[in-house]
Amino acid sequence: MSAALPWRTAWAIARRDLSARFRGLRLLLVCLFLGVGALAAIGTLTGGIERELSTRGRTILGGDIEVSVWQRAPSAAEAAALARLGTVSTGSRMQAMAKAGDLAVPVELKAVDARWPLVGAARLTDGRSVKAPPPGQAWLAEGAAQRLGVTTGDPVTIGTATLRVGGIIADEPDRLGEGFTLGPVVLVDSAMPAAAGLTAPGAMYRSKVRVALPPSADPATTVEALKRQFPDAGFEYRTRDRAAPGAERFVSRMGEFLVLVGLAALAIAGIGIGGGVSSYLEARRTSIATLKVLGASSADIARIYLLQIAAAAIAGSLAGLVAGVLVTPLFAAALGDLLPVAGGLVLDPAALVRAAAYGLLVALVFAVPPLLAARRFPAMALMRARVTPLPSNRRELVLPIGLGLAAIASLAMLTAAQPLVTAWFLAGALALLALLGALGWAIRAGAARVPRPRSPLLRLALGNLHRPGAQTGALVTALGFGLSAFVLLAAVQSSLDANIDRRVPARAPDYFVLDVPRDRADAFRAAIGAVAPGAEVRTVPALRGSILAYGPKDAMVRVSSLKTIPEDAWPLRGERGLTYSDAVPEGNTVTAGTWWPKGYAGEPLVSIDERLAQALDLKIGDYLGVGLLGVERKARITSLRRIDWDSMGFNYVLVFSPNALADAPHNLAATIDLPDGANDTGPLLRALVRGFPSSSVIEVGGVLTQARALLNQVSVAVLAAASVAVLAGVAVLLGAIAAARASRLYDNVILRVLGASRRQLLALQALEYGLLASVLAGVALALGSGVAWLVVVQLFEFDWLPDWGEVLAVLAGGLALVILFALGGSLPLLRAKPAQALREL
Amino acid sequence: MTSPLPAIAAHDLTLRLGSGDSAVEVLRGVGLTVPQGQTLALLGPSGSGKSSLMAVLSGLERTTAGSLTVAGEDFAALSEDQLAAARRGRIGIVLQAFHLLPTMTALENVMTPLELAGVTDARARAEAELEAVGLGHRLNHYPAQLSGGEQQRVAIARALAPRPPLVFADEPTGNLDAATGTGIMDLLFARRAEAGATLVIITHDAALAQRCERVITLGDGRIVSDSANHSVPA
Repeated sequence: MSAALPWRTAWAIARRDLSARFRGLRLLLVCLFLGVGALAAIGTLTGGIERELSTRGRTILGGDIEVSVWQRAPSAAEAAALARLGTVSTGSRMQAMAKAGDLAVPVELKAVDARWPLVGAARLTDGRSVKAPPPGQAWLAEGAAQRLGVTTGDPVTIGTATLRVGGIIADEPDRLGEGFTLGPVVLVDSAMPAAAGLTAPGAMYRSKVRVALPPSADPATTVEALKRQFPDAGFEYRTRDRAAPGAERFVSRMGEFLVLVGLAALAIAGIGIGGGVSSYLEARRTSIATLKVLGASSADIARIYLLQIAAAAIAGSLAGLVAGVLVTPLFAAALGDLLPVAGGLVLDPAALVRAAAYGLLVALVFAVPPLLAARRFPAMALMRARVTPLPSNRRELVLPIGLGLAAIASLAMLTAAQPLVTAWFLAGALALLALLGALGWAIRAGAARVPRPRSPLLRLALGNLHRPGAQTGALVTALGFGLSAFVLLAAVQSSLDANIDRRVPARAPDYFVLDVPRDRADAFRAAIGAVAPGAEVRTVPALRGSILAYGPKDAMVRVSSLKTIPEDAWPLRGERGLTYSDAVPEGNTVTAGTWWPKGYAGEPLVSIDERLAQALDLKIGDYLGVGLLGVERKARITSLRRIDWDSMGFNYVLVFSPNALADAPHNLAATIDLPDGANDTGPLLRALVRGFPSSSVIEVGGVLTQARALLNQVSVAVLAAASVAVLAGVAVLLGAIAAARASRLYDNVILRVLGASRRQLLALQALEYGLLASVLAGVALALGSGVAWLVVVQLFEFDWLPDWGEVLAVLAGGLALVILFALGGSLPLLRAKPAQALREL
Repeated sequence: MTSPLPAIAAHDLTLRLGSGDSAVEVLRGVGLTVPQGQTLALLGPSGSGKSSLMAVLSGLERTTAGSLTVAGEDFAALSEDQLAAARRGRIGIVLQAFHLLPTMTALENVMTPLELAGVTDARARAEAELEAVGLGHRLNHYPAQLSGGEQQRVAIARALAPRPPLVFADEPTGNLDAATGTGIMDLLFARRAEAGATLVIITHDAALAQRCERVITLGDGRIVSDSANHSVPA
């Protein structure tokens, strides 16, 4: 027996047989284009963000490590320990009110020492490169200057100090590292807050120490050593590789989601590729048989068609790579405010190679079964029935598909930032494929077994589902995935929308005021009553402290000894707001235990959030140790509370009996609800600045707008990414229907010759797809909402709030698309006269 | 001196299609020997098994039972792929429905079997072959751009291009009008004569059969008659 055809000759024949513009292989092209494009874009984007975070991390953080603590400056021992680590820059952050003339604006006051910025350079709009402002001056952010109506040289009052505007900030290198702020920034020298009375004991401010380490020192190791040295200091640490607060977590979540979307798009694309290759080879039956008649062996056939499919796969993948690179700037623009992403086109060779490798491997895995089946297609097919399905031999599929799947799984696991999520996804996708495969088999078997209906149309429709050569299996998989993608998108979108509405509450106070001196609470109410009659004012004592220990009195767990923070126990991270109260706070419900009596004077008591109790397995009678201004205080848990987090008022996880905290220096925090229609808030702000210079005001409206904008950005990014999977789903859906329709062409022509009317043929197809779609609608609803739930609840930790009306409407739209496309494509054939249709066969 | 090997030596060929209750015996103990260079017509009504016999003799179908030697190869012992390799360059087949590759030009259609057989100057030989069937001016036309007669000429050129010693033609004029069919057969016989190949024609056209040196008639999967045609010089 002679050897297989040389690859060169096989390519010569393959190229000839490959008609222009890959007719017949377009589904393969589109699927690979979408799948590889999605992965290329995702890889480029996340790679860019990670690089940006790591290369700019030092600048973003303003050093190699940052240590922050609430309401106090580091002690002498702490400061000395930090100073030994490297070059140190200290400062503080707080909310404050800035006043100029009649205008008052809440600002974020950032006090920095002469060494600031340790990394990078600060610039003013006049071009000057600056360090900290000299005493008596302030650098203002553009927004602050605009709202105060001031420019360089004008006076501004903050607290009890009057400063001169020394310049407007153009570039603040550590801006991103400061995170979400509640007002435009005003930079002052580090001594200014104390001089202006803003850091009196109990005031809500945060001290920050940045350290530039020597090149040999590792930030993470340094932080670990500090944690051991000062376990109960209440310090919060950040290192240069986790510089942007929240960004790290968001990048990780978004990264997980995007990888899932990319893999989902590719899995869906794989189904399309399998279907596309199968129908392409089906259409090539005669050519394959003819080549065999001319002496081509099965190995030659495999080479020729493998080369054709590879050529199409490479073309589709290349187009996908180009598209992926081109759309990345759009993603970057959508996420620009949330993440440090560089604009413009970015070429990330590693991401592109990875995307192409995924695409080609998926193409291989899904193209192998039809390719191997076609290889064994007999020459005698030229003279035999056209409906004979391509013979399959499962054993010969095991090796190539097994190797391909192993390669995909290895690639996914090796390159995954979250291997566990990826592993679950891969297992889930395989299970889903198996489930849909089994469903396809069941529908075929069921259709073959049900009694023959009397109606000839129904009988034919049922017959079409199980006859030899029926495309039921491919259609079930494609429709199942496609319709599930529709449901997924609708459920995720409506849930995100509902979350935005819910998380940005409709009922919120108009202002939060921090640092109201507690001996001036009545004066505060009176001042507000004078300028805003009818305004509702609530005040609560406000302190900050961190939970240091919890559990039964004689077996308390030290938080500093925990390797990982238990799930849902977020209050253990860093410092929290603390308060005390004689009565159960408004909007809270005691769910276990009892509240202390008014004027209680015994052992210090505390009431905690029931979810925290559940997360830490805390019971009534257990103890809690909190660090407050460097001193640890213990309190016994006497009640658990359910907190209405949706009301954006004062919601404290820990509420103490007054005798537990009242002796600590602290101020009050206040909320102000203005009567409806009170729009002119200028007098109120002026009154506050005048009467309470050390207090700071947060305008809730502005914060809500900012929060809503951020959530909308997340929502847009999520939907843009998910729509890639849906597009792949639509392509697969339409491709499968087109393939099934092609195989039905012959029957339709013959039925027309036999006298079937157009209406009857349309009804036949509508019935067939209607039968399939009605079964699959239920499956898609379950699968799509299941995956959507995972995305919304598990991945993004939002609430599961889908709008079922919208989900069902979108599913109905998908079903309509299926049936319309199935019918629409047949119309040209049905319009033609039978004789003409026969000639077109 | 030993006589040369016969082109075809078949004994007791049986072909059964399908399985179980639906199995059909298409050929029932067919035996024949075809000397090299002979022209042979297989006659018979539809369903008599003549196309199936051609499929078995040309290696398109494996026999269920019996022995078959074609050009010295034991076809009964070969796998489907080995049969394909055995056909390459040695057996030419012309089919009723032409079966040109629709995505290839006339020239490319003729080049393909030459390339499969590893011929190095495939293009030049294909051009010469098309020239010989009178289609030198239609080299770059696609099948859809050719008439039925032209398509069948391309099919003949394609079958004869590798200069096979054995040529099968299954109802070669079945899809053509009488005048075109006669012209095509003149061409086929002429090209066969030039190459000195053995020719087996399957037909139900008695007039066409009379152009062959030998006529075998099939009925119900068996040879009904086998006669020499003395009007054609051997």
